[in-house]
Amino acid sequence: MLYVLIILFSAIAQYFGPWWLMPIVCFVLCLWKADAALKAFGVAFFAAATLWLGYASYQHFANEGLIGQKVADIFKIPNVLVLVVITTLIGGIVSGFAGMAGYYCRRALA
Amino acid sequence: MKYIRALLSLLVAGGLTYLLNQPLGPAPALGPFFSPFTGFWQNDEAPQKASSSELKLQGLKGEVIVKYDDNGVPHIFAENDADLFFAQGYIIARDRLWQMDFYTRVTSGRLSEVMGPLALDFDRYNRRLQLPEGAAKLAEAFMKDPDSKLVAESYSAGINAYIEQVEYKDLAIEFKILGYRPEAWSPLKTALVEMLMRKDMNARSDDYRMSNTLAVHGEEVVKDLFPDYPIEESPIIPKGTKWTFTPVAVPKVPEMLKASVAARLDIESENPGIGSNNWAVHGSRTSTGLPLLSNDPHLGLSLPSIWYQMQLVSPTVNVYGVCVPGWPGIGIGFNKDIAWGMTNVGSDVFDFYQIKFKDKTQKEYQHDGQWRPVTMKINEFRVKGEAKTVLDTVRYTHHGPVLYSDGQTPFMGDLPVGHALTWIGPVAVGNSLKALYMINRAKNYDDYRAIMPYLASPAFNVVFASNQNDVAITSAGQLPLKWKEQGKFVLDGANPAHDWRDWIPVEQNPYVKNPARGYVSSANQFPADPSYPYYLGWKFAPGERGIRINERLEKMTQATIDSLRLLQNDNFNVEARRVLPDLLKILEKDSSSKVNPAYQILANWNLRNDPEELGPTIFERWVKELRLAIWDDDFPSTDKKAPMMLPTRDRTWALLQKQPDSKWFDDKRTPKKTETAADIVRSTFAAAIDSLIDKHGRINDESWAWGKAKSTDIKHLVPLFKSFSRMDVINGGGANIVNATTEGGHGPSWRMVVQLDKTWPKAFGLYPGGQSGNPGSRLYDNMIDRWAKGELNELVFLKSKEENHPKIISTLKLGK
Repeated sequence: MLYVLIILFSAIAQYFGPWWLMPIVCFVLCLWKADAALKAFGVAFFAAATLWLGYASYQHFANEGLIGQKVADIFKIPNVLVLVVITTLIGGIVSGFAGMAGYYCRRALA
Repeated sequence: MKYIRALLSLLVAGGLTYLLNQPLGPAPALGPFFSPFTGFWQNDEAPQKASSSELKLQGLKGEVIVKYDDNGVPHIFAENDADLFFAQGYIIARDRLWQMDFYTRVTSGRLSEVMGPLALDFDRYNRRLQLPEGAAKLAEAFMKDPDSKLVAESYSAGINAYIEQVEYKDLAIEFKILGYRPEAWSPLKTALVEMLMRKDMNARSDDYRMSNTLAVHGEEVVKDLFPDYPIEESPIIPKGTKWTFTPVAVPKVPEMLKASVAARLDIESENPGIGSNNWAVHGSRTSTGLPLLSNDPHLGLSLPSIWYQMQLVSPTVNVYGVCVPGWPGIGIGFNKDIAWGMTNVGSDVFDFYQIKFKDKTQKEYQHDGQWRPVTMKINEFRVKGEAKTVLDTVRYTHHGPVLYSDGQTPFMGDLPVGHALTWIGPVAVGNSLKALYMINRAKNYDDYRAIMPYLASPAFNVVFASNQNDVAITSAGQLPLKWKEQGKFVLDGANPAHDWRDWIPVEQNPYVKNPARGYVSSANQFPADPSYPYYLGWKFAPGERGIRINERLEKMTQATIDSLRLLQNDNFNVEARRVLPDLLKILEKDSSSKVNPAYQILANWNLRNDPEELGPTIFERWVKELRLAIWDDDFPSTDKKAPMMLPTRDRTWALLQKQPDSKWFDDKRTPKKTETAADIVRSTFAAAIDSLIDKHGRINDESWAWGKAKSTDIKHLVPLFKSFSRMDVINGGGANIVNATTEGGHGPSWRMVVQLDKTWPKAFGLYPGGQSGNPGSRLYDNMIDRWAKGELNELVFLKSKEENHPKIISTLKLGK
């Protein structure tokens, strides 16, 4: 449930606003719903990772897919798959920590 | 404990978010950059789809219809001129904003603000060239004329309308990678784009090398080996054309200055030359009875492309052609009645003056027997990644800035230290926007001639054809009135006779209308033969392209669009025709050369630089080494202390053919031996083959094929972004071939052929790139393959917005 909520709300938030609304969404939702630190991290991580992975892949495959490999080459990244992995990790890690922070704050407020 | 955990985890999460939102050294902020909602993933562009859309824009007076064809070319229909230029600015900004911003950063010397310290020396050089000062003057000139004011202001407003509404996710990928946002546009920025043209075309000089040559070898040798007019040439204005004007008095030649210049130098190889071809064939020699016009400006090829195709329509105009992003109007193109094109004149308009300072403080310098004060100017640079601004003090004389002072390292090898620079860039005042405005709307020859007073710099050979069956060419622009050979050598900054004082009256610039030979043409060669009363320079582009073009045009009697297209792609090597038979005769007498398979290849070569031929690979390499071997002992061109000029290829081949016993063939570096012309020809042949084997392996049809051995690189404007470039494009041609594609990535930056017609013209064209500036778009480089093959696209020139053309894909409606 939390997983779906995070994907849904952070997708809406990022569609209209900056990328950093995603960790904020994770923080708020985990503050509200998460019941363990590790679980909060995990859910937020995977939800954000799914969203970024999914949208990046959609961009790549639905269009010409020209830019991914070119950007990978500029940053000396071996191929576009690694670039997708990096994208997923960046989104996942920051959201994971935000989710965990949400859970701990809830504990502190409880 | 629970509070500490909460606090710590908040700090980690907040800190991480903050860090990902900050640029890290040269890297962009990773959060927005990697986010698929905003970052580079967004720059993957879907293929163009049939669509119609609408946009509201503040600043428009009426409705504008933009129709895009399948090549991404916008056809803009506006109800008035202000809206037309507004829409032109808005539309081009959507495709090329980063490129436009980059151009203005280069010429304003502000590239290091976004690129960091590696661009600082380049910035310093561009500021010292006074590119920003020149632009300010130009912008002022735009504002004085109501037409150019309207153009410049409406165009800026259109670009700004785009900048104001563009979101991060839609920004060009270069903005995202380099981590900055576009600045507002202004007429000054348009002027800065024009300064880039001035610099590219005119900011080069042989003065320093020639002075060194003169100092070592003396006047006699210089006169003999560096003549003021080539031995083989076919000038732009046909030989024998009578000059119908009364020339103004030309200043007297003062005592020549034997400059001795001391400077540290890092010599670059000879400039590959920025050339171009254009010609127009009179109706008496075409299949339709009306003129045909062709133009292919040669420039450093780049991505995003230098040019952008557009059709601009308002109640006052309907014109198609190419423009430079950032520069409004159509630069090269055609309308219903006329067509025009440009090549660089390449006259000598970049002169150095030796400055005699009173003392070490360099506060005063000598001029006309007096000490004149030096003015100081401090340039300030903000450098990305550095907290402090960098200050750079430049000394100014009335000649111009002392480009580099003692102790400073020049940006390029042929720039002497301690010399002031006078060049056309910051001093010419014209109004190019007015000229473009007028030529876009021109209906006949008189309208064409009327633009001449507005063209200043760079000077262009403007070719013209009309459906009234007129063809003409004018070397148009501000040309300094010089004494003979003024500026061939470094000038004396203390002698007032050496100053630039006046200009050649504009109506006396070389021009010709409907010459008897039935065509006009230019390929950057000498504008006129020595009967022209003014001195324009001692050296222009080598004559081969012009000679070949004129030979072929001479034979055309029923010319068609295709005959002109084929001539644009002509790969015949005039130099090889001139010199190869004599070189082979020498090899023939030598048994070891004769058995070399490379000899056979050359002997059987059809003298064309076609991509599959092996002959040009061998010939081009060999003549390069041959020329260097003949001259480098006496005229060391790479000497750090006093680099000299190598005599031209034209003079070299005349020496080889007419004076084979000349002392110049002896290599001074081998004192025990006296080499002859034949010795050098043989030894350089062997050496050239050896170095080719080193590079391409044993002789074979694959890797030795000219197209492969030469190849052409079309690099992104930031060479570091290699994957945004197109490397190793296979094609024929060469630096002095009509199809002037070079290894270094110079070549035809736009090929256009126009067939004039009483009712509606037909035109073809393409450039090596694409309409989009986005490497994630199919339209970024889609024309390159056809370009390499020498094909052209038929251009969609719409009569009206109601016309239903099968190639029109989408429509965009702009309204207030």
